[in-house]
Amino acid sequence: MTFKTILLATAAMVSAALPLSAAHADTSGKKIALSNNYAGNSWRQAMLTSWDKVTKEAVAAKTVAAADAFTTSENQATEQAAQIQNMILQGYDAIVLNAASPTALNGAVKAACDAGIVVVSFDGIVNEPCAWRIAVNFKEMGRSQVEYLAKRMPEGGNLLEIRGLAGVFVDDEISAGIHEGVAKYPQFKIVGSVHGDWAQDVAQKAVAGILPSLPDVAAVVTQGGDGYGAAQAFEAAGRKTPLIIMGNREDELQWWKKQKDANGYETMSVSIAPGVSTLAFWVAQQILDGKEVKKDLTVPFLRIDQGNLEDNLKNTQKGGVANVEYSQADAEKVIAGAK
Amino acid sequence: MKTLNTLLSRPWIWSWLAALATFALTVIVTGGASTFGLAQATLTFAAFSVLVGLGQMLVITLGPGNVDLSVPATITLSGTLALKFMDTEPSLILPGLLIALGIGLLVGIGNYGLIKLLRIPPIIATLSMSFLIQSLAIWSNRGLRIKPPDALATFSTGSIAGIPNMAILALVVSLVVWWLLDRSICGRWISAIGQSPFAARMAGIPVDGTRFFTYVICAVLAALCGYLLASFSGGAALNMGAEYLLMSIAVVVIGGSAVAGGNSNVPGIWGASLFMFLVVSMLNTYGFGAGLRLVLTGLIIIVVIIAASRKTADR
Repeated sequence: MTFKTILLATAAMVSAALPLSAAHADTSGKKIALSNNYAGNSWRQAMLTSWDKVTKEAVAAKTVAAADAFTTSENQATEQAAQIQNMILQGYDAIVLNAASPTALNGAVKAACDAGIVVVSFDGIVNEPCAWRIAVNFKEMGRSQVEYLAKRMPEGGNLLEIRGLAGVFVDDEISAGIHEGVAKYPQFKIVGSVHGDWAQDVAQKAVAGILPSLPDVAAVVTQGGDGYGAAQAFEAAGRKTPLIIMGNREDELQWWKKQKDANGYETMSVSIAPGVSTLAFWVAQQILDGKEVKKDLTVPFLRIDQGNLEDNLKNTQKGGVANVEYSQADAEKVIAGAK
Repeated sequence: MKTLNTLLSRPWIWSWLAALATFALTVIVTGGASTFGLAQATLTFAAFSVLVGLGQMLVITLGPGNVDLSVPATITLSGTLALKFMDTEPSLILPGLLIALGIGLLVGIGNYGLIKLLRIPPIIATLSMSFLIQSLAIWSNRGLRIKPPDALATFSTGSIAGIPNMAILALVVSLVVWWLLDRSICGRWISAIGQSPFAARMAGIPVDGTRFFTYVICAVLAALCGYLLASFSGGAALNMGAEYLLMSIAVVVIGGSAVAGGNSNVPGIWGASLFMFLVVSMLNTYGFGAGLRLVLTGLIIIVVIIAASRKTADR
């Protein structure tokens, strides 16, 4: 074989390979960045792990060129705005954003849009019109809890409400949903409300403080990450365990399973899967691909009931959060379902 | 009358009065039915604030600029690593405790190393240290929650004759710190440095050694708190220390210790810790909204501090 034939053969092979590479998605050269404002709890850790897992596969399959995750250290809007400015300079094609504030990042987001960058916000969304929003219907999440309770205890009863972090949009929304539900089912009465900051130990402390002064509590409505703490506070106070709505954390599900096996305890658990970051990733990829995508999309809840508790528990990492990772097909479905 | 006056001139009395008043106001709502339950809950949760408060108090006594901001991260790291190491194995409870305390020791050494060798102000040094520690905690197990060994969980949530074990433990530690501060030469040194580091050095006090020792004690107490808190609440969480940063400083100030250093007291830490838990319980019990609750918490704290500091100034 002469040098010339090798050259020819190589040329033939390259030209044969060319149409193949063109068959890849149009986004194979695109770079997507994740701008994340906080990493200090198990939900956010699971969110980052899901992102890492799904995007690594996408990069290996040459669906996109890069998908890097960046987290700010101080959970400050100013710091995140600077981070977005850096991403603009680094030439990313899309920024997937979990924002520290719905409004304070608008300037940086607008600058990114003006530079031709696709911005997809999720979980912590931004209200700048040029960005896409993958929002959670938090109000519905609160309302569905009371609806469930109305079905379980038609005669009603006293409720203890555990709220999240005071002053945060998500906390106001879920609580508004719960109050809407209580207005619809007046047999329920909220006799106490505490802030648990979505953390088991804070919730436990707050519930322990208010519990001695409360009458009988029939059920506890929660926001996720606080159900196990509430259960422990009731146990420590020597009171009958009420129906506590859970929030998909592994410790909560584990506790529920134990109660279920011991005395047939029944409840439900609802939260957002941290894998929503991967849904946002695929939505960004679809937009880069030239798909027509509505600006406002809604994430489905991940709800666990008595029947599928064991299955979900099996798939949940020890100490983590019940999770689903989304695929490109899931993203297409969410996009098609948006009106 | 004279005893009453002496009592009122104590800077710590105001935090105790405030704690008793909030306790009474909370119990009144239920007509006294909640007395025992509330007292038990208060003692349990105050115990954790006391542990970190004592360490922070010693550091603040060292004088202006001395504060340990790495307390919350140390709590998180020691809780995380100790529970990960024990992995629900009851025979490892003691080694787990040693690991927690060892972490405190290392953090304390690191803190003072930054302050002394690199000449970084304590606020910056301990803050940057806390970033390092928090990242280490995140990296070590990604926020996974591992349950404490059953025996340890039972101990930390249990009580003897109605008094929570945590409160008894905090009381023992408090007595040791009280002896250290009020009765030992080392405590005199700490106070002397807080009053005037220059004079202390001139008087031949080992200033560096004392400061080093104080920062280590503070970090070790925070680590102990993290170990117990994680065992108490059924596992470590990445944000478990967050509320103890301001809490540790608040209980020192409300307890009547001088913010500028040089003059501290242990009973005030207890009064302030009980008060800090009770004030939130009281406002929760009365059903105030979150906004009003925070405003009232702030106002009540200001009133108590003014009362405490006015008395100190009169002396």
